[in-house]
Amino acid sequence: MNIADRNNMPDFPKEKFAFVQQGAAIKDERFETKPIGFFKDAMLRFRKNKASVTAIVIILIIAFISIFGPSFNPYGFNDQDITRINLPPRIPVLENFGIADGTRILTNRRVDKLDDEEKYPEGTIIEVFNRRVEKRVEMCDVKINAYVQSGCPDDYFWLGTDYLGRDLWTRMCRGSRVSLIIAVLSVLANIVIGIIYGAIAGYYGGKVDMVMMRICEIIGAFPQVVVATLFIMFFGTGIFSIVMALIIRGWISTARMIRSQFLRFKNREYVLAARTLGVKDTALIFRHILPNSIGPIITKAMIEVPGAIFAESFLAFIGLGLQAPEPSIGVLLSEGQKVLLHYPYQTLFPALLISILMISFNLFSNGLRDAFDPTMRGID
Amino acid sequence: MTRYIIERIVAMLLTLFIIVTIAFCVVRLMPGSVYDNPELPQKVLDALEARDHLNEPIIVQYGYFLKGVILEGDWGTSIKVEPSVPAFDVLVKRIPITLEVNVYSLLLSLPLGIVCGTLAALKKNKLPDHIISAMVVLFISVPSFVFASLMQYFLSFKLNLFPIVYESSAVGWARFSSMCLPILALAFGPIATVTRYLRGELVETVNSEFMTLAKTKGLTQVQATVRHAFRNSCLPLANVIIPMFTNILGGSLVVEQIFAIPGVGGLMVKSINANDHPLTIAILIFYSLVSLLTILLVDLSYGIIDPRIRLEGK
Repeated sequence: MNIADRNNMPDFPKEKFAFVQQGAAIKDERFETKPIGFFKDAMLRFRKNKASVTAIVIILIIAFISIFGPSFNPYGFNDQDITRINLPPRIPVLENFGIADGTRILTNRRVDKLDDEEKYPEGTIIEVFNRRVEKRVEMCDVKINAYVQSGCPDDYFWLGTDYLGRDLWTRMCRGSRVSLIIAVLSVLANIVIGIIYGAIAGYYGGKVDMVMMRICEIIGAFPQVVVATLFIMFFGTGIFSIVMALIIRGWISTARMIRSQFLRFKNREYVLAARTLGVKDTALIFRHILPNSIGPIITKAMIEVPGAIFAESFLAFIGLGLQAPEPSIGVLLSEGQKVLLHYPYQTLFPALLISILMISFNLFSNGLRDAFDPTMRGID
Repeated sequence: MTRYIIERIVAMLLTLFIIVTIAFCVVRLMPGSVYDNPELPQKVLDALEARDHLNEPIIVQYGYFLKGVILEGDWGTSIKVEPSVPAFDVLVKRIPITLEVNVYSLLLSLPLGIVCGTLAALKKNKLPDHIISAMVVLFISVPSFVFASLMQYFLSFKLNLFPIVYESSAVGWARFSSMCLPILALAFGPIATVTRYLRGELVETVNSEFMTLAKTKGLTQVQATVRHAFRNSCLPLANVIIPMFTNILGGSLVVEQIFAIPGVGGLMVKSINANDHPLTIAILIFYSLVSLLTILLVDLSYGIIDPRIRLEGK
């Protein structure tokens, strides 16, 4: 519109004029998409990793079983009964297909002793095969129903029983619970101690840093085996002392990681700005700098869990495990190892459990690391 | 360089001294006496304790212990595991067996790990790489004693391929075949570690400029990787291999027990369970010494490979 036209403008009444923006706030157009935060972003990447998602599902299932598993059947974890020792696994539906049917094969039996009602009650012997004559005695192999032989034909021990007649399913559920508790407690404590120690060393730097890192170095020089052994010898066995033994040296790697993160972030402009505004050291450390490391911290925690599970079963193996009758995966493994050649299932199930658990945690933490820090992807 | 080495050794000795002190105090302060045979009269027990200075304050005991170790090379006498044999002799007799198994497993795992790692890097994101990655996760996750148990049952007991336990009296091939399973069980972890590390290193170097140059002058991808990238990754690999040795030593504690190998690991378990204090202290010192030496070696090799680290240390 130019000035000349202005004079020819029709005469509009003044009250018909209104401001265009009146009433409505001036603002940019609203985004159609939802904002994606740090965790949501990580979640999106994590979900694409099939192996890690499977792993977390398996971990959750194991955790669920470890909590509720013992109540699936009527046996307690310490119900001893010497009439039903070392029974093989027997599972209701599967037994019809010949798997886990509570039978056992006895080799090299004398045929003339098979009629002994004391040893083989009615219905015990299912099949006699491989008849042969050795040194003028007729020998054979027999397939027996161990449950009938022990006088409890109606019982179902899903994973069998151990040398004291305790139900292995219940013991394994409880054992995995104990192992997981030990792992989670020790890792949590390690992370908390590591964060505080590393934050102080990294934030204050200089002499403080030097002294603190020197202390780390000295503690780190103690071999883990030796530290754990000494600690458990001194304080006795139990969940508490095993956790403590894992903590003594465990927090150092977290502390180192947090320290390097602090060295990276403490000189950024936004930290300087916050400090200029008078924010206290504690707030700077925990509100402004630490949240940068939340990804690596979570990943680190998950990486350390399988290590703690391994350490616990390792200690159980060398005789520094939990006090009987409390089971843990390591205790079950080392008990099973003693009768491996006769009752392999007593080793097999805990061995499978610990393997699956460790693999799942490793895959899960790999996925987490890739999700939180995509630049690290594929480096393993 | 000499000064740096001396500094590190002094620091190591200092740490060793602290560890020895703590180990001694902890083991001696444990409840229960070394001599607890209920059949012996109290007088004899007292006399035995007096002979070993067990009735004196811990500081004095420690003085005697240090004097024995430093001046006479006397580490105390084993009390229960092998009565009245010097602890040092008991230990020394068993070290070669443990070392043998460990060295063999390292010798087995290194070439395998290197081959797998290179293969995975060359065939990145293809089928061989995926298979090797799955193998790495499996081997790193499953503890060595699970492998040991499974192999002992299936390979030795079911298939009769190997002897079930270690045969110390056998010689030659029979002895070696009884060592095969423990060596295998201990090798899986290191194979996976080397593979994973080497793959990571190679994948990173493959994109560097000297690799482009190598390919420009006509080398194939395989040639360039094996001749140029691999050599570059070898030096950092040394720092993974040395600490691996300590790890195997720790892992062999359990594997030795499973296969009844009369090595240091079994000895430690036995001496802990039998309350044989002098022997326990000697073994703990042995393990500490090994791991401290490892740390020292790694530090020194870092210094040789990358002089900047050495300067920073001062």
